[in-house]
Parts: sequence; structure tokens; C-alpha cells
Amino acid sequence: MKILDKIKTDPYYKAWLKDAWPYVTGAILLSVFQIVSLASAGTPWGVSGTLADWGAWLYQLVGGSVDKWYYFASDAAQAKLAAGPLKDPGTFRNLGLIAGALFAALIASGFKFKKIKTWRQVTAAVLGGLLMGYGARIAFGCNIGALFSGIASLSLSGWVYAVFLFLGAIVGSKLLVKYFM
Amino acid sequence: MSKEVELDCLGEACPVPLIKAEKALEGMDVGDVLICQIDHSCAMKNVPEWAREQGHNVEVEEVDDGEWEVIIEKVK
Amino acid sequence: MGDEQQAVQGEGGIKRSSRTRTRKKKKNQIPLGIMALVFIVAVGIILAWTVGGNVALFWMLGSSFGFILQRSRFCFTASMRDPYLTGSTSLTKAVLLAFAVTTIGFAAIKYGAFIKGLPIPGQSYVVPISLATVVGSFMFGIGMVIAGGCASGTLMRVGEGFGMQMLSLFFFIVGSLLGAAHFGWWKLNFIVRGPRIFLPDVFGWVGAVVLQLLTIALLWIAADKWAKRKSSSSSH
Repeated sequence: MKILDKIKTDPYYKAWLKDAWPYVTGAILLSVFQIVSLASAGTPWGVSGTLADWGAWLYQLVGGSVDKWYYFASDAAQAKLAAGPLKDPGTFRNLGLIAGALFAALIASGFKFKKIKTWRQVTAAVLGGLLMGYGARIAFGCNIGALFSGIASLSLSGWVYAVFLFLGAIVGSKLLVKYFM
Repeated sequence: MSKEVELDCLGEACPVPLIKAEKALEGMDVGDVLICQIDHSCAMKNVPEWAREQGHNVEVEEVDDGEWEVIIEKVK
Repeated sequence: MGDEQQAVQGEGGIKRSSRTRTRKKKKNQIPLGIMALVFIVAVGIILAWTVGGNVALFWMLGSSFGFILQRSRFCFTASMRDPYLTGSTSLTKAVLLAFAVTTIGFAAIKYGAFIKGLPIPGQSYVVPISLATVVGSFMFGIGMVIAGGCASGTLMRVGEGFGMQMLSLFFFIVGSLLGAAHFGWWKLNFIVRGPRIFLPDVFGWVGAVVLQLLTIALLWIAADKWAKRKSSSSSH
């Protein structure tokens, strides 16, 4: 198709949709949409809280119940779980993130399915995922909710999170080089 | 004759490609060329950036959809 | 095969003996990309009709975040990991810039609500500081480096087609469930005594913003110097 070849060589396509943006561009745009979030939705960006809700729904699917858990005990949490994922804004924000990244990769002709290659990767993914999930729950969030949104919200908790996240990343780096390379 | 080394980093996420490249370059002589095969879009940005900062000659070639070769010529 | 035996010189001038390489013909994914965009917009419209504008807004915000993260290769994990691991701080500095911009924007929105006597939005993100914060963020730091991405990074890489990150997303969910199961214990023993500190309550609105921006600026300078020191020490 002629038109596609034309798009591929277009300098604006290359700059905006094909080549990686500078990190600074990403920083500014993420900040703009963070501010849009707070102004329009009334809440900053968060990711991992919803993942706990997904866990609860999956657990219910296999016959478990979280009704007695302190974490899900509030009326608001119970109402959210009862309404289900299809009515949950956070669910759609996370799914949207996946869809947005997929769109960005495809429009740049850069999508590729990458299979898991080694057992080392499996171990890293399982261990890393568990540590992140557990850690995010007890620390009230991940790099987005607790760190980025926390600091932006002028909360001291965000800075405390940053310090120990950094120390954890150093330990993680040592472990990665030693066991997962 | 300078060596040419191929490094398979396909399916690897950051920072594995960069550390692998760093290790491979250590064992190479000036003038040798390292070809890193990468299919992680972030590594496609940070590996060339890092290598340039180290002063090496760097080229990036798109070999397939979502697959790149970062070609690093060891300079020092 | 065997048609390219001579050494070829690339645009940057690196000589490589190009081995015989059968290149797959690149498929152009742009049409699929346009379909993905149509899908995103369509889902947004359907959500607005069926579930409500709020859910549609979250969907569009999420899509925007995912698009920006992927396009700029933004990575919060790397911003915390690379200073130690590779000595690079370009992402660290970008994250600090994002902190500064959002600090100003958030403070404006929050102060705007405050002077009108309205409830300040987003205050649920001002959370108690306790041993749970320390342990949790430390665990998170280890996990994100090992798994090659934090929560947003993992979701972004799932969208890019990473099998490993699909697995780590699943175990992130499992870990979240375990964390939620133990949350009562952490709450009872530590979180309940942890103070929630909203900086404007301590330093005043102007003081909090100035102090925070100053801290960010100092960290930015430190990061910049760190990278320069690292790169000069490794080249000798």
C-alpha cells in the first residue's frame, strides 16, 4: 500500500509515533495527565490498589471469600467488590494502560510477542511479582500511587517510600546480577 | 582482523541487556564489534545511550517489527 | 543467501562483516495500530453510554498513561535502579522533573479547593507513615528490579507483548491478595500509630511547595553530578 509507505517515511510520523520520545517529554506529559486526573476525576493516578481488587475477584471466582478480611471490610470496599470489575473505574484505567501501550507499540510497528525463555525468568517474575504485590499493599501503593502521587500530593509518606524503595532497588540489583542473569 | 560478537538478548527485559553488553564488551579488544539483538523497546533506548556515554561507536538497526540490533564498536 | 559477503559500512561508519542473514520481510503494523486506536475510542464511547462517564474517563486516562509510558520508554524502576547499577541518572532526573511539575499542579488544585472551603481532593493519598511503609517499599524495590518493571511498567510491557511480565502481573495480583489478607495485622501493630503528614499542615502551603521544590532541585543536582562522576571514573 502506497499510503503506508508514505506514512512510514513521514518525518512527523517518525518523530511523534515511531522514535522514542526523550524522557523529559514523557515526564511532562505524565505530569499533565496526573494533574488532569486530580482535576477531573478528583483522584491522582494509582495502579496497584486495583490489582488487589482483581485478586479478590479472582479469589471469589475459585470459591474464596474476602468478606472477613480487614482490608476489604469497609462498606465502600464491599460495595466495589459487589459491583464487579465491569463497573470499576480503576479496572478500566489499568486495562486502558495496557491498551494504550499496545496501541503505541503497534503504531510504531514495534509490537512483538516475547515468550518466556528460561526458568530463571519464571523465578524472577514469580518472586518479583509476589514481593511487589505484598509490598504495595502494606505500603499503600506502588511507584505510582505511593511514590509519584504521594509526593505530588505533598505527603511525607511519598518521600519515606522513595528512600526505602531506593534501598530495595540496590538490594534487588545485587540479587539480579547474582542470581537472575 | 577485528572480532565480531553476537549477543542474544531477545526476550530479556531491562537491565539484563545492558549488563550483558557491559560484560561482553569487557572481554573484547578495541576495534571489536558487539552486536546485541534486542526486542525490548526500553533496552533499545538505554543500551545505545549507555554505550555512547562510554564513548563507543553505536548504531541501531531495526531488523524486524519490535526487534533491533544495537551495533557497538569498542573504541577504548 | 550468500549474496552479501563483503563488509558493509553502516551510516555511522561501523564496519561489520555482514553475515548471510535472511531477514524476515517486515510486516507493517500501522493498520493494526489504527485498529487499536479505533478500539480504544470505541470502548470509551461504549463505557460512557453503558457504565457512565467516570469509568470512560478512567479508561481514557489509563490509555493516555500507557501511550505516554511506551512512547517515552518511561520507567520508574530504572529511575531508582540505574543510579546504582549503571550510573545513569537520565530517568532519575526525568522522574524528579515530573515530581516538580505535579507538585505545582497538585498544590494549585488542592489550595483552590482549600480556600473555597471545599474538601481537598486526593487526600486519601496522604497515608500513614509506619514500619509498614518502610518494609513494603523496600520489598517493592527488590521486586521491581528482579521482575523488570513496577506495576505501571509491568502493565505497559504486557501491552508490548512480554510473556515474562504477564506472569509477573499474575503474581503481583497474588501478592496483593496476600498483602490484603495480612493487612489487618500490619494495621493493628504499626499503621494505626503511623502519622499522616500533609506537608502544608506543617510548613504552610507556600512553605511546603517551596521546600519540596528545593528538595527536588537538590536531588536533581546530586543525580546529575553522580552520573558525571560515574561516567568519568569508568572511562579511565
